[in-house]
Amino acid sequence: MKKRLVKTISAVLAGVMACTVAACGKPAEEDAWLEKACPDKDETAEELYEKALQENILVVYTVSTRATKTKEAFEAAYPGLCVEIRDLRSPDLVEEVEKNYYSGNSDCDVIICNDNSGEFKSRIVDTGIAVPYLPSDIAGKMKDPESNVMGSFTYEAEMLFYNSAKYDECPIENIWELVNEEYKDRIYMPNPLHSFSTYAFCGGLMCVEDELAGAYKELYGSEPDTDGMSVTDYFWKRVSENIVFTNSSDEVLEALGSGSADFGFMVSSKQRFAGLGYDMAPVYRLEPFSGCRTSYSAMIARNSDNINSAKLFIRFLYGESDGKGEGYKPFSTDGTWSVRTDIPDGNDVPLDEIDLFVPDQDVLTENREYLEKFWTGILETKA
Amino acid sequence: MNRKICKLLTIVLTISLLYVPGCGFGSQPEILHVAIPYSDNIPDIDTNYYINYLEEKTGIDIVVSFVKIESCDEYLKMLFDSGAEIDIVLFGGSFVPGDGVLEEYASRGDIYLPDGEYKYVSEGWDTPAGAGTVLWINKEWLVNLGMPIPKTSDELEDVLEAFKTGDPNGNGIHDEIPLAGSAGEYDLNPVEFLMGSFAINDPYHSRMTADGKRIWADPAYRDGIEYCRGLYEKGLMDKGVFDCSYGQLCEMVNSPVPIVGAFTSSSIGDVIYRGNPEVMARYVHVPPLTGPAGEAYAMIPENKHKIGAIILSRSEKKEEAQLLLDTMMSEEASLIARFGEPGVDWDYSDGKDISIYMTPSTIITKNYIRDVVQNKNLNGVGPMAVPEKYIYGVTWNGLNSDAEYVDARAQMAYMDFFVDPGGELPVGNAELSEYLDRHMIAFVTGEEDVRSDSIWREYVSGAEEILH
Repeated sequence: MKKRLVKTISAVLAGVMACTVAACGKPAEEDAWLEKACPDKDETAEELYEKALQENILVVYTVSTRATKTKEAFEAAYPGLCVEIRDLRSPDLVEEVEKNYYSGNSDCDVIICNDNSGEFKSRIVDTGIAVPYLPSDIAGKMKDPESNVMGSFTYEAEMLFYNSAKYDECPIENIWELVNEEYKDRIYMPNPLHSFSTYAFCGGLMCVEDELAGAYKELYGSEPDTDGMSVTDYFWKRVSENIVFTNSSDEVLEALGSGSADFGFMVSSKQRFAGLGYDMAPVYRLEPFSGCRTSYSAMIARNSDNINSAKLFIRFLYGESDGKGEGYKPFSTDGTWSVRTDIPDGNDVPLDEIDLFVPDQDVLTENREYLEKFWTGILETKA
Repeated sequence: MNRKICKLLTIVLTISLLYVPGCGFGSQPEILHVAIPYSDNIPDIDTNYYINYLEEKTGIDIVVSFVKIESCDEYLKMLFDSGAEIDIVLFGGSFVPGDGVLEEYASRGDIYLPDGEYKYVSEGWDTPAGAGTVLWINKEWLVNLGMPIPKTSDELEDVLEAFKTGDPNGNGIHDEIPLAGSAGEYDLNPVEFLMGSFAINDPYHSRMTADGKRIWADPAYRDGIEYCRGLYEKGLMDKGVFDCSYGQLCEMVNSPVPIVGAFTSSSIGDVIYRGNPEVMARYVHVPPLTGPAGEAYAMIPENKHKIGAIILSRSEKKEEAQLLLDTMMSEEASLIARFGEPGVDWDYSDGKDISIYMTPSTIITKNYIRDVVQNKNLNGVGPMAVPEKYIYGVTWNGLNSDAEYVDARAQMAYMDFFVDPGGELPVGNAELSEYLDRHMIAFVTGEEDVRSDSIWREYVSGAEEILH
């Protein structure tokens, strides 16, 4: 059973590699890089370490500062290897990686990015600019082989939180209640045009529009009068009147913590700061959805000069073969869920007990122009 | 024949040199000698975008003299004592004149003041003055110890105690400094932040309110000092805090092995080195702490116009000097001085973005050139007048370790802790400030006993004497 799964994953990965290379018509030297990189070759951590010692400093582009903890653990586990972390916001990371690639620059070795908006997939993965790497000893332990194509190493969610200092329990049961006037300027949310996970949630609602409409009917007993708009657009148009847009989830967390917000949409991993005294609690049950599932990818940047270090780092990030490695631990916190069967979830409540949907990335990619225009319009009304 | 040709050539050459097209006689660019503090961040002044822009805009040839003396006051003394050929001095960064220094030279007639005032200020480079100082705490240590961000002065003491004894950096050595600081600047001195849990604290105005109340004599102020004395006595505040230099504080905070639990500064970027995301990720701002009487105030900022430049009275090109500095104060030049080359390092925003202060954006930064090696402007040196809408309208550049973004979030969290001064704050009395600062240190270190009523009375009457 396991062997079959491994084979499936390997076939998927090989397929992705073949497609990306063929689709892009890479020049000979890049195919040579791929040949040299051998992302599908099985190598032990010891073998990679030995070769990595001959390489240069490993540069990691990441959207998560938790990677700095992985770096520290990696450098301690593999003396002689150095990692440089560059923290970037998702859209900027994609931009930088693309820029590097097209200018022939091999500045980045490993990419850690939120992969849910379709942007990462269409611009970086489908074009072959990032190359997935998943050794078979780990691949066989993944919960969902499909997500391996994207090099997902942890699951998270973009979801609703409420102010737990103000409310003993979540004061709403239906997402449409967020349009109530009492929540004017009391809901905080990152600008979806600058946050991949927020974009995935905002745009992804169009994939589950029937459920959204059903929730309206359940609450108000009739169909929404959308004045020709789609139900999703109508929902966002109404609720955005109550929203204060922020740059990132950190600001949402701080607004909840300071009492400025009653609700906030943010990445679930911010839950790890609840112990710091930020008064917020996740909304696990909400009609029809509290948010969407998201994930983080780790991939090798094509043309990386430090391929063995990159592979070793990604193995480490996945928690090594036995799942007990230190590299994944910074990511195993409240508000995260493991992608592996042999690593327990960081969050007490499992994913299937939370009202989340999984956005269709292809739909997001196809509708990008429309969604950008729509959200630009929304943001303009707030200006 | 040869002589004739030579003569002819000489005439032709002479004429061609004199009649440079478009210049004509007497239109050689005026030369201004400008003193600028030396900075490693400005590698080549001759090709500096801002300098070239100013030269082009004014037609003035700017000849830069780099000042390598770190002390601005020392440099000014040497400058005015000598006959050095300098028309303008630019200030910025740590190269700023001490309190009253410029006034003294001006009263001697050494400084030329157009319209009788210091027109050439620097507005827009520094973090917009909100809180005078911010407490930054090591959140990783809090997580390791399972403690929340403190909300009261008592909770802070518990946290600092845990930092001291709980080995939060996990190296098995008692090397943790629970609360670090430096007394060189008010914002770096943790005592100044802590006093806000007891009384309104305004060291920049000799700790007095607009209506003349002497905060420094208030029992609540004394309680605050007693609290700080307690922290110091228990080793929760670094014993070297009042001797520690700014550089030493930076070294401690930026240590690869985390050793500092908390520190204060008006901008996190003042203490944490640029390009150090690991260290930046360690710290988070703590809003003002509620004291035993339920008080919580943000330290009142200096709010003083910083002087960006002066013209020397002995300059024979005052008109040109004014032209140059007026140009530097224009919006166009100020934006270059603040953000770099338009279109390359920044652009105007269409307002559809969110600024770091969560307002509609006005400026999109493309390249972050502040405090890094660059050749686009003078890295904060010199006069500028950046309009407020641009100061507060900057977009986030996406870096979690962007100091401006981290600062903006802290400033917003401190917003609710400001007191309306209720009038114009008094001008600081340098002698009184020095007296109060000295005694504050003496009380905290235990050199003088703050708990002794007679010593306290003596201290208060000493301050009163200065005022009278």
